[in-house]
Parts: sequence; C-alpha cells; structure tokens
Amino acid sequence: MTLTIGYVPLADAAPVVAAAELGFARDEGLDLELSREPSWATLRDRLALGHLDAAHMLGPLALASALGLSGPQADLCVPMALNLNGNAVTVSNALWAEMAPKRDALAEVATAFAAVARARAAEGRPLTLGTVHPYSSHSYQLRLFAQAGGLDLDDHVRVVVVPPPDTVDALRRGLIDGFCVGAPWNAIAVAAGLGRIAALGCEIAPDCPEKVLALPERDAAFAPALIRAVHRAGLWCADPENRPALAALLADRAGLGPDKALLARTLGGTMILDAAGTVRTAPDYLRLDAAVHRPNPDHARWFAAQMVASGQAPDSGLAERAAALYRPDLFDAATGI
Amino acid sequence: MWLACPVRPPTDHRTPQNRASMTETSLTVAVIDPSPARAAILEEGLRASGVDSVAVIPDGPGLQARVAALKPDVIVIHLESPSRDVLEQMSGLSRQAERPVAMFVDRSDQTMMQAAVDAGISAYVVDGLRTDRIRSILDIAILRFNAFARLQRELEEARSELADRKLIERAKGILMARKSLSEDEAYKLLRRQAMNEKRKIVDIARAIVTAADLLG
Repeated sequence: MTLTIGYVPLADAAPVVAAAELGFARDEGLDLELSREPSWATLRDRLALGHLDAAHMLGPLALASALGLSGPQADLCVPMALNLNGNAVTVSNALWAEMAPKRDALAEVATAFAAVARARAAEGRPLTLGTVHPYSSHSYQLRLFAQAGGLDLDDHVRVVVVPPPDTVDALRRGLIDGFCVGAPWNAIAVAAGLGRIAALGCEIAPDCPEKVLALPERDAAFAPALIRAVHRAGLWCADPENRPALAALLADRAGLGPDKALLARTLGGTMILDAAGTVRTAPDYLRLDAAVHRPNPDHARWFAAQMVASGQAPDSGLAERAAALYRPDLFDAATGI
Repeated sequence: MWLACPVRPPTDHRTPQNRASMTETSLTVAVIDPSPARAAILEEGLRASGVDSVAVIPDGPGLQARVAALKPDVIVIHLESPSRDVLEQMSGLSRQAERPVAMFVDRSDQTMMQAAVDAGISAYVVDGLRTDRIRSILDIAILRFNAFARLQRELEEARSELADRKLIERAKGILMARKSLSEDEAYKLLRRQAMNEKRKIVDIARAIVTAADLLG
C-alpha cells in the first residue's frame, strides 16, 4: 500500500523520514512517499483535503485543524507523538549585548529580555520576535519566556512568523530581533555568527510536547502499520549510535544540510550558544526516545490551555475536546502494549 | 497599518469586524507566488476582469512589510509559497492585526476549496468581503493557474518529444556509419528491434547512443 506522508524539513521529522527511507515502512508492507511541504498551512490544508494520508505536524496545529480553528475543519487524530522539545529562543547579537544578563540562566536571561522589551516598547519601537506558526509550541514558548521575566508578551513585543529557513536572513537584515524555532535553525544562526541562543525550549517548558503524527480519523485502515513503522523508526533515530547516519539522512533527504556535524551535535543536545563557542549540554534538548511516542492527552490539554491564554480560542470545553483527539488506544493497539 | 504595535485589543477572533466602506471596484488584490511567470499571468487575468489594483509581492523576509503597507482585501497565494504561515500570523489571530482576515474561502464550500487546492491556490480575505466577490476572484485564479499548469505540461511534452527525436536521429546516424545503411534502413532496423523487444523506438535509440558513447 502506498501512502503519501507530509513533512516540513526539521530535525524532528526524523522518525517519518527514517520510516520512509530506511525500510521500516516496507517491513510493515507500506510504501511511504515523503512529501516535503513548503509551509505548515499548506501541509494542514493538504492533509484536510486528502492529498496527504498522514503528516509530521505541529501538535497545536493538528488540534486546531481538527477543532476547526485553523483552515478547513479536518477529522484528524493523533495516534503518536514524534518528539518532545527541540526548540530554542535565539536573539540577535545586538539584543544579547543590550540584555547583558547577570547570569546565563533562564530567570536572569528572561528578566534581562523583559527589561529591554519594556524599554523598547516605551520608545515606540518594540522588539520583533519570530515564530513558525500561530498554532505552535514556539509561539507559546515565546510567551512563557517573556512570562519568566515577568513580561506580558502581547503588550510589549511584536510577534511575526518567519519560515525557519528565512530566520538567518531575517536576523541578518535586522527584520527581527530574535526567534523561537526548532532544530537545527538555532544552531545554524549561531554558526552564521548572527545570533546568541538565549534559552533552550527544554528550559522554558521542560518536556514540552512538540510534533505529532497526524492521521485522518476516517478509513485509516493503514494506521496500525504506519504507527508501528514510525515507532520503530523513532527508536532507531533515538539511538545515539545512529546519530551520524541520521544526520546524513536529514541533510540529504530533508534538506537540512550541508553541515552534518552540526546536525549530529544538535541531535545529541550539544548546543553551541554563541560565536565564542560557549557550549551547553542538554541531553533533553530534542527527545525522540521510546518514552515520548505514546500520545499523552495531558499534552493536548496543555496545548488547549496555551491557545486560550493566547486568545486563539475561547475556553468552552476546549481542553477535553482536544484531549479526545489524542489516541493512546490506537498507539497501544498498534504496538501491542 | 496592520501591524502597528503595540496595539490594544481587539476582539475575540470570531467577532466579525466592520470593514471600512468598500465599493465593488475598489478592491486591492495581492498575488504571492514563487513563480514570477505564473504570478504575472494571474495579475493580468485579474486586471482583465476589472480588478483595478493588483500587486505581485515576492516571497522573502520583506513580504510582511509589503503586505502591511498594501492592506489588500484579498491575497491569492500559491500553495508552494513558504509565506503562507506568515499570512496566518497576520490574519486576525494576533492582537496586532487591526484588520482581521478570514481564512480561506467560505468554509462551508468544500467544492470550491477542493478546486482551489487542486489548482494550487489558497486565499486570505479581509473579513466582511462579499462571498460572490471572493468567488469570482478565486474563479479567475483557478482558471489561470490551471491554464498555466496545462501550458507547462504541454511545453514539457514538446521538450521531451524534441529530445526523443534528437536521440533517434543520433542513433540512426550511428547505425548508418557503422553498418553502412541508408537513413531509411537505419530507421527500419530501429523499429524492428523495438517491435522484437516490445520497447519504444526511443529506448532502443538511447541504448545505441549510450553503447556508442561508452565503446567509442
């Protein structure tokens, strides 16, 4: 059976890319065709209208699509999570210099950021931060980062969307002062000498839910085989021994090259924070391991709470409607747990 | 401005907003398409149908500012454009957007949506714009984009046909030189071989050319 699976080129697309490219799908009798999507909006619409059979998707966007909050309402479900964490907040070198935090720890960094953001808003030239889509953990992590410094993001900072591959250029041109994106784009901005990683996603919100495998709820007879294939591929991706091979696969197949060493380092949670080469080791920076695959309805509830807090949706039973879309039962049935 | 900031508050995102008064002819349409040729074709089509203000906005980091300055009533954007997510942020969910933009076409119209997506189109529309106006613009976009795709396919076919013909000419030339055949005989030999092997003449020709290249 041939399935078309959509993805956006990011490190956490690894399990679906590996499932398609390394034989995990074939072992389950599936022929997976990868479809690289140019934007999350297009991925969402193509999944909703049946052009895609499944997708690597922002967790909040999968929920928003199924709840009719974003794009054409789609009958989707989430039978598996692909990862936790993987994002970071990077700021321009100039903003980092202006922030000059007392210590390189979240509380101090966020407080220093809040001070600059307040000053800039008062001068009528607010800071501009980039995210990847309104319905993303990135947007929520920016809000939480501001909150950690006692700042209400909406009142003081302009938030725009920048497609991840454009983040480096947007920083260089001064169109944004910083951004929250997924791996490997923070490391790439640092390597380009343009940014300073201010906070890792896993510090802002430990074990933050991130990408999921989204499937149409109807006629998904292929679901068990697909879940097994992606689950087994995910286990392969999480094995530290496979990191160099995975980095090469992502560079070649997901367009995340050309720096394979940077990719392998990022997959292992070794983050170079600035041009001076300051290193922070965070084993949980991007979690792909077995413990994250079973979809946790509490994650859906957390996303729903963030949507409400961001003014994206009214709080009329949203959490429970969101939680019902996460289907650990499908995961258990497929993987024989 | 759409993005003057910080801007307080509007609105629940579901609250319909009253638009500034807008007559039928005063629409501003923005076209965003990674293919400049396709964008030009759509621009021309919209002008021909009486839309007086059409602007093509290139993808890239400057897009947001261009859209904010133009304040279009309708944005027609190709599905292949990475800028769609930029528009989603601008479209009313954020408190910074003074002019909320509805998603897509009338959401109840599945057929229209399917046709638009099949043609590679999505549209962002200022809240309150009349459905028939949106529909006529989308109709034009669908027609133009489908025509463009057809032209491209035909061009591609013509190109590959030309390439096939060149390959067959080269193979004939090789056979004529190596086997002292006439042009007609060389072609008949190719055709007979193709029939025997149940393959296309061009495949036999390619094999001959490849072999000749390898063997010198």
